Amino acid sequence: MKMRLFRALVKKGLLDGRWTLGLSSLSLFGLSWMFVYVAARIERSLAEAQAEGRAPRAGMFRGMGGAAMDFSTAAIQMAFWKHPFVILTIAIWAIARGTAAVGGELERGSMDIILSRPVSRTTYLMSQVVTALVGLGVLVSALVLGNVLGSMAVGLSSPVSAKILARPGMNLYAMGVIMFGYTLLFSSVDSVRWRPNLLGSVATLVGFILQIVVNLPTLEDWKWLGKYSIFSAYDPVEAVVKGEKYLFNSSVLLGLGLVLVALSAASFSRRDLPTPG
Amino acid sequence: MIATRGLTKRYGKTTALSDLTLEIQRGEVFGLLGPNGSGKTTTIRLLLGLLQPTAGRASVAGLDCRTESVAVRRLISYLPGELRPFPAMSGYGYLEFLSSLRGGDSLPRAVAIAEKIMKLDLDRKVRAYSTGMKQKLSLAMAFSEPVEILILDEPTSALDPSARLDVLELVKAAKARGQTVIFSGHVLSEVEKVCDRVAIMRRGRLMKVEDLHTRRCLRMLLIRFPHRDRVEFPPELEASIRTHEGDVVLAEHRGPILPMLDWLRTQGIVDLAVGTEDLHSLYDEYHGPNAVEDVESIPLMGQ
Repeated sequence: MKMRLFRALVKKGLLDGRWTLGLSSLSLFGLSWMFVYVAARIERSLAEAQAEGRAPRAGMFRGMGGAAMDFSTAAIQMAFWKHPFVILTIAIWAIARGTAAVGGELERGSMDIILSRPVSRTTYLMSQVVTALVGLGVLVSALVLGNVLGSMAVGLSSPVSAKILARPGMNLYAMGVIMFGYTLLFSSVDSVRWRPNLLGSVATLVGFILQIVVNLPTLEDWKWLGKYSIFSAYDPVEAVVKGEKYLFNSSVLLGLGLVLVALSAASFSRRDLPTPG
Repeated sequence: MIATRGLTKRYGKTTALSDLTLEIQRGEVFGLLGPNGSGKTTTIRLLLGLLQPTAGRASVAGLDCRTESVAVRRLISYLPGELRPFPAMSGYGYLEFLSSLRGGDSLPRAVAIAEKIMKLDLDRKVRAYSTGMKQKLSLAMAFSEPVEILILDEPTSALDPSARLDVLELVKAAKARGQTVIFSGHVLSEVEKVCDRVAIMRRGRLMKVEDLHTRRCLRMLLIRFPHRDRVEFPPELEASIRTHEGDVVLAEHRGPILPMLDWLRTQGIVDLAVGTEDLHSLYDEYHGPNAVEDVESIPLMGQ
């Protein structure tokens, strides 16, 4: 009975978010395929430059890929996983699910319908968390799948295997979890959707801007700001090329995300649920 | 079945519900009356555990509404006043989803009520339903659930007259099945038709609990006495004077009519009019134009 109830809630959550999830997954799949295609072309132009004795434009790739960036095909592909569109798509899902979970459902009156039935607040919130996590999994899988199928179609010289792609995939997933976590916390104390939406978006944007700032060569002494950005712990190139930090980075992001979810659950279990505004 | 003791809810300096002490018996249809902001919905939300009380406690079938909220809600089906069913679902999908939150047993009955009594097309998306149709859909769900208590917050507000009658019939059927019903509404004639007792609330305070069965036995007597300064009814007649202006007395009478008529004959009265009093006049004592403005000055129930 409890499992059936939980499944029904998760199914409803996925039904609510099906358009966002479907279109986002399709976009990430297509984008990932395109990244492979672009990487193949860059691979060719690098080979030509090498044959002609020209130096590749290292600065551009360093900026995109971070410290671990080299000129391997894998690194070039992974540099594109830091593209703002990839991050934006993950952020849209994470923030949308976080804000919908409490503030959004309260605002539209649907929480009354559910929580007037024998559904505990913990069960309800956990169903929202599982919906968000399943959606993140689908998005990351779409990105990985686009890369794998794109590599097969384009004919890359050294395609990255799905097993290796799981590393940056996990890193990206963990970043989505922390975005969902802080937005859920904002949402769990609110009764409207716009405010946690605004706060979640601002928090994400500030982190993203900090990451851009610390990567500017002229602001070397501002590197310490990077500690305050979740994006410092997202390094898909390192995850594929070296694979030394991704597990730690992902664990930190995932751990913090789960702590934020636990705080949200604690706050939600005690709060008043007012009439829809 | 339902009991509250000193139940209070405050938001900062605003008191939404003050010191509510109330008991509702099993199988009773209990009306909650009062304008918006009088504390009806706050009371309901406290019973459902959606709000935490500032003071006092509420219990349903001996279960604490705050600490055993899930068990309490297992016994209750609630129709919210603000209806916002999920627009992306079909009518059937909505009923299926809600019944699945209680194990799924109520689905066939909900579908039967929705299709046969409420005349709804369950294949249509909820977003295509009118407000009244959404209310009918939610009512079908509420009346189908295998629960002991029904809480209906303004259940007829968006319905056409024939659907309103259907709802009143469903309430009577629920009572006949032994379910306890809390009926919160603004249409006094409907409340009067189905409720056993009503509570009148004002600004978060319980002002009056009236037994409507007793009230239905009440008749109003407008009597003109010949040049009488003072009138006193014998106690066995069960009558009391509400107003006395000049020769005219307005009296409330709950006893049998024949002894009263015999007594009036002995008084040589000039004129007599017999009438009844509907719930509206009782409601007006607390919410009408002549109601006391300062509610704090009115003693609470039981004081």
